[in-house]
Amino acid sequence: MQFFLLLTSTGLVSGAAYGLIAIGFTLIYKSTGVVNFAQGELVMLTAYIAFSLAQWLGLSFLPLVALTIPISMALGLALERVFIRPMLGEPTFAIVMVTVGLAVILRGLTILIWGSEPFNFTAGMPTRVVVLAGVPFYPAQLWLLAALAIVVVAVWLFLKFSRYGVAMRAAAGNETAALLVGVDVSEIHALAWMISSAIAAIAGLLFAANFKLAPDMWFQGLKSFPAAILGGLDSIGGAALGGLIIGVIESLSQGYIGEGMREIAGFIVIIVVLMARPFGLFGSREIERV
Amino acid sequence: MRTGHFREKPGQLIALSDSRTVWGWTLALLVALALAPLVISAYGLTLMVAALIAVVGAIALNILTGQTGLISLGQAGFLSVGAYANGILLADYHVPVWITIPAGGAAASLVSLLVGVPSLRLKGLYLAITTLAFAFIVNHVILYAEPVTHGPNGLFVNGARLFGFNVQKGPPLYYLALAMALATLFATLNLSRTRIGRAWMAIRDHDIAARAMGIDLVRYKLLAFVISSFFVGIAGALMSLQLRFINVDVFALNLSIEAIASIIFGGLGSVAGATLGAVFLSFLPEALRLSFAALPFGGADLLGNNVYEIRGIAYGVIIVLVLRFKPDGLIGMWRDARKYWSQWPLAY
Repeated sequence: MQFFLLLTSTGLVSGAAYGLIAIGFTLIYKSTGVVNFAQGELVMLTAYIAFSLAQWLGLSFLPLVALTIPISMALGLALERVFIRPMLGEPTFAIVMVTVGLAVILRGLTILIWGSEPFNFTAGMPTRVVVLAGVPFYPAQLWLLAALAIVVVAVWLFLKFSRYGVAMRAAAGNETAALLVGVDVSEIHALAWMISSAIAAIAGLLFAANFKLAPDMWFQGLKSFPAAILGGLDSIGGAALGGLIIGVIESLSQGYIGEGMREIAGFIVIIVVLMARPFGLFGSREIERV
Repeated sequence: MRTGHFREKPGQLIALSDSRTVWGWTLALLVALALAPLVISAYGLTLMVAALIAVVGAIALNILTGQTGLISLGQAGFLSVGAYANGILLADYHVPVWITIPAGGAAASLVSLLVGVPSLRLKGLYLAITTLAFAFIVNHVILYAEPVTHGPNGLFVNGARLFGFNVQKGPPLYYLALAMALATLFATLNLSRTRIGRAWMAIRDHDIAARAMGIDLVRYKLLAFVISSFFVGIAGALMSLQLRFINVDVFALNLSIEAIASIIFGGLGSVAGATLGAVFLSFLPEALRLSFAALPFGGADLLGNNVYEIRGIAYGVIIVLVLRFKPDGLIGMWRDARKYWSQWPLAY
């Protein structure tokens, strides 16, 4: 039982990271119809930026987050303007391939700047173990779980009540109609990229603090696809829940089935989900017209 | 400007090309390629073999992604199935190489059914993600099926002999790769003019309309998967012959991205484009090496320390720039140049 609880708790923690990254996918997919293959690279790059900031200024956790978020939003805006905006009106395949190209570029640049050696990065958090219900947790793990909850609530409130959030939902629902009622759709696209990079920064910081800061962190982006797909690609809560489910499945299959299952359990889930329920648990069912 | 270009017999309509000039240049190119080992150094020959293998892979991916419109990010998975099937049969079971290369293709075809069947319900992005997942699963299986695949230790591929020649290096390997590339090219060019090829293009352009016209989507999509991955498997088999040592790291995600980059760079959907793109991009690392060596301030060292990152960035930049400025790729540029040339000075 103790073993099961331990596996579940570590699964929930890595699942929270998947959930955060998957929310980033979902936001961009919802408002622009494009899956951003560079999300994992954004996570890695913002984590490295936070690392450099922490080393340079010696900040503790919350100020570091407060400083990293605006920087990553500016980064997201810049990437959207330089890479994605000029592709407006091109077929979706072309835009998705641009994000694949962008991913490779960001990955290379990160290693060129920071080198390929991993770093230990505590992000200004204590490393004292906290015991909750008989299961030991590091503060960084608890922060990761809390961050997922905070981000889900914040994004939900934003989409539900703020002017921009309503505009974003309108653009997601029907872009042309949104344009007709005066929504600046290109601004909404930029906003989606900014918010999604801010979430990537939170995910990156906490992931690096929980595991380590290494140049293979981009892979977490691909490993979060199962979460986004399970959640349905256009549902924020679905992405978060999908992340937690995938995290637990990975952890349990690693513990009970065999070594290395952690690496591919999520991908097996993708194939099963796409065969059985391509719109995921909470996604909207698309009706295609000829 | 050519005028009065008439086709008078039905046979002319289905000919690959009815222009004597095109056939003349093709023949000249073939003679040049056949004589190349006499002139080119051993190192140059190695690069040309890599280019020819890339051509096989790119033409094959073009069948799936360019002609049928099924986006695949799982190229590396099919390559590794072909490479491992070839390598295991050759090294552990001493099967002659003229069986193992087609066996590599057949193995990749069989595996492609596994990913093809669930993919039938999916389109676009979902299919890309499924094929990506498939490539990771393949690598995992290879890594953990140690009794068969040697797992993390990798596999030494030795002893491939064909007609008494060692086809793992030098001119024999070059001629083998050349023959395979030509066979793939010829097969694909012919295939795309048949009922099958036209059905694929109809599916790419609008699958529901294609269905309404009586095209069996299941059958033709699966056929695209099977035929495409057969050639990808052959490319993988050739790769294992050239590299002589393979492990799962060889078949990382980058390989799939390079394959996609080369068909985008060449021009999606065109066999000639895929060929051109693969040739140009497989000389890219060499071009990078030469241009960094020409830089002052130790450019060669900078490249030497970060060769994978710089190559990756170069591929990324090419994908982004081509999609942004020349979505039709090299073949589109060639068509524009030809039109400009033949219509000059009337071009607008």
